[in-house]
Amino acid sequence: MLLTTAAMINNAHALTVYTAGPGSLAKSLATGFEKQTGIKVNIFQATTGKVMARLEAEQASPQADVLISASWDTAEDLQQRGWLLPYQSPNAGKVPDAFKTADYVAQGISALGIVWNIQSGTPEPKNWQDLTGPAFKDKVTTPDPALSGASLDLLIGLQNGEGEKAWSLFQQLKENGMVISGPNAQAVTPVLQGAKAAVFGAVDYVTYNNIAQGEAVKVIFPEGGTVVAPRPMMILKSTQHADDAKKFVDYVLSDAGQQQVANAWLMPARTDIKAQRPLITEIRLLPMQQDGSADRASVLKRFATLFGQ
Amino acid sequence: MSRALNSLILLALSVLVALPLLFILLQAIFPQLGAGSWQGAFSALPRLFADDTLLPMWVGTLKVGVGVALCSLIIGLPLGALRGLFRLPGGALWDLLFLVPFLTPPYIAALNWTLALQRNGYVQQLTGLDLESLLFSASGITLVMTVNIFPVVYFAVSRALMASGQRLALVARVHGASAWRAFWHVTLPLLLPTLAGSALLAFTLAIDEYGVPAALGARAGITLMTVGIEQKLSDWPIDLPGAAMLSLLLSLVALAAWFAQRRLTASQDVATIGGKPATSEAASAGVWTLPMVLLFALTALFAVALPLCSMTLSGLLNTLSGGVSGTNLTLRHFAALFSQQGDALSAFSTSIGLALGAAILTGVLGFLVAWRVAEGKSRALALLDGLALLPAAIPGVVIGVGLILLWNRSFWPVSPYNSLAILLLSYCCLLLPWPVRYVSSALRQLAPTLEPAARVHGASRIQALRLVVFPLVSPSLLAAMMMVFAVASRELVTSLLLAPAGVQTVALFIWRQFEQGSVGQGMAMATLTLFASLALMLSAMALLHRSKKL
Repeated sequence: MLLTTAAMINNAHALTVYTAGPGSLAKSLATGFEKQTGIKVNIFQATTGKVMARLEAEQASPQADVLISASWDTAEDLQQRGWLLPYQSPNAGKVPDAFKTADYVAQGISALGIVWNIQSGTPEPKNWQDLTGPAFKDKVTTPDPALSGASLDLLIGLQNGEGEKAWSLFQQLKENGMVISGPNAQAVTPVLQGAKAAVFGAVDYVTYNNIAQGEAVKVIFPEGGTVVAPRPMMILKSTQHADDAKKFVDYVLSDAGQQQVANAWLMPARTDIKAQRPLITEIRLLPMQQDGSADRASVLKRFATLFGQ
Repeated sequence: MSRALNSLILLALSVLVALPLLFILLQAIFPQLGAGSWQGAFSALPRLFADDTLLPMWVGTLKVGVGVALCSLIIGLPLGALRGLFRLPGGALWDLLFLVPFLTPPYIAALNWTLALQRNGYVQQLTGLDLESLLFSASGITLVMTVNIFPVVYFAVSRALMASGQRLALVARVHGASAWRAFWHVTLPLLLPTLAGSALLAFTLAIDEYGVPAALGARAGITLMTVGIEQKLSDWPIDLPGAAMLSLLLSLVALAAWFAQRRLTASQDVATIGGKPATSEAASAGVWTLPMVLLFALTALFAVALPLCSMTLSGLLNTLSGGVSGTNLTLRHFAALFSQQGDALSAFSTSIGLALGAAILTGVLGFLVAWRVAEGKSRALALLDGLALLPAAIPGVVIGVGLILLWNRSFWPVSPYNSLAILLLSYCCLLLPWPVRYVSSALRQLAPTLEPAARVHGASRIQALRLVVFPLVSPSLLAAMMMVFAVASRELVTSLLLAPAGVQTVALFIWRQFEQGSVGQGMAMATLTLFASLALMLSAMALLHRSKKL
């Protein structure tokens, strides 16, 4: 019985998409695409780390046709390794140049902000610095930058924007009792329950989803600026279904596809699609990093040393 | 014939265990293995030892492992002994309750405890007690893990005592020993292999555990080895060789523990089940029945009811920020489970099917391995034993990577990869140590003369096995298979890596809900599947009971 199921899953005509969360978005994109083109899509959804680990282990016989990651770096790296099939979708015209290259294009964009519990009895923070005040003593969590690429981007963005002042900010946060709590969801849950008052640098769309469910929290984009995490979408060179894969990329960047991205509380990659949340034009951004994974490693190490991990 | 059987077992173990582990070893040595290149051998080794977090991580892991094994003995031994020796009212019910920790995925257990004990958590909201600093510490991690792992000892001890009966202890009583002396000098020493085996299992489970240290360790400032391995696999650039190296180091720790356990118990003869008829009726505890029940109730309250309530409550709360109050209760999370195009239901049936398959396969293979190993003394058989235990020492995520490296190759004419069969393979690999451990400690209590006696009276080898050996070890085997079923029905780490595109299991479904920030819906699903699995096991037990009576 298992083998017949296996045969059914191994449907040779289906398109295989590996994607980082959110799962509901992946599913609705697959359903919409199948309805429009009749091509079946098999989704593998996990964290960026798990998706990449699987991709790396599968090199001997690659399975994925399309990859959507939550970290821009992964796409840059895969492109340098020569794993990607260059493709410019006709629907990518309205995607800003910063969010597309010859090989990959953003599916949607998330931003990092402060997530604050309204009922926590603390004053509403307006800036990163506010979390170092006595009102937030022992009441701040942050995702672990070693586990979340976006979190690390924020550290780097702050360092690029403010230099050493960024490090004195981290120092003050540490002295004010900020704790590092695993991946994004683990940092946000204590704030939902009220164990902590605020998250320093949480992914925004998850919390917008929480708010839609009625949770008493708020996403605040600091006046000093924050970073965005575009989610690169790419076709792998090893694909046996290049035409179908291109159609899928086209679909995600179509009006219908981008509307689904917006419904998942992400910023659509195309500037002409409306969303029910602040768009990239309304958020102040820190300067993007110039280059260098060596830089990433050293920032990570310095942060880990500071927090004694 | 026995040689043919040995080869067959060896073949099964090779496919299930040795080959994936071999590929992990190769990956550790040859960093470019995934791309099919043999270059840069051993280049990951100096990097591993240059890492100055390695030593504290190693020491921390050992401490937690030993702590959990000790605490599990402290809780599991007395409870297991009482259950095995005395008539306990509602005995099967307590067994079932202590299976609950196994049916709860570790990351959910950790989340349950966090939601219950952290500042402004359920316990503080209801009683004002703030236990946050205890929870997020090395002791907190050890305690939460013990609560999940002590049933290993409880089941091993109670089953061993039930199977062996009390004949030898009775002999001691007849010769004037007090009840306590008989227990201390006869029953306990005879239990030693069982205790050592289950303590070893508890130790390896603890050092191999990922969910709890990941959820609590970050806040406690403690990184254990499994978390370190996972970290190498979770952020770009992915470090497969580094993770494989670290896993090998972890399995060396477990292997060392295994050797220690073998040395400790090898020289002892603990056979208690001879040919003499023995009534295996448990004794009545008399006036002590009530205190005994209270002790069980107290343990169940802390280890089972508290996290279970935390889980159910989280599934019933409309919003977490709304706190515990009547107006904040809702059934919408449960209702939502049934409206998602049958996703929840198909995830449930996939998981149950896989868990059933894993329980049967590991049960059969585990019994055969333990039986062959117990019969012979050769080195080759010790190898079988070691091979069957090894997966307990390797973190799930690494076994997952090993299975991909092994099966996702174009040279296989047929490959289980990218089908449900790969999940079945990974569960069997991960969980094979359970039946092997449980059955081999039960077998060591059988007198070596039993099988020859059956043969002398004209029974064939198969008949002796079927009519004599098997019935005597079946309580242990069944307990192990139940545990395999429980663990496989909620396994997350390898499923996350290996699930074919488009397939959902229960754990994946729940994990994805959490990842999207829907704690309520994840907890609703966890609660529902827990009760459904319990009901399934209960009816399976009832069926078995009935067929025995007929």
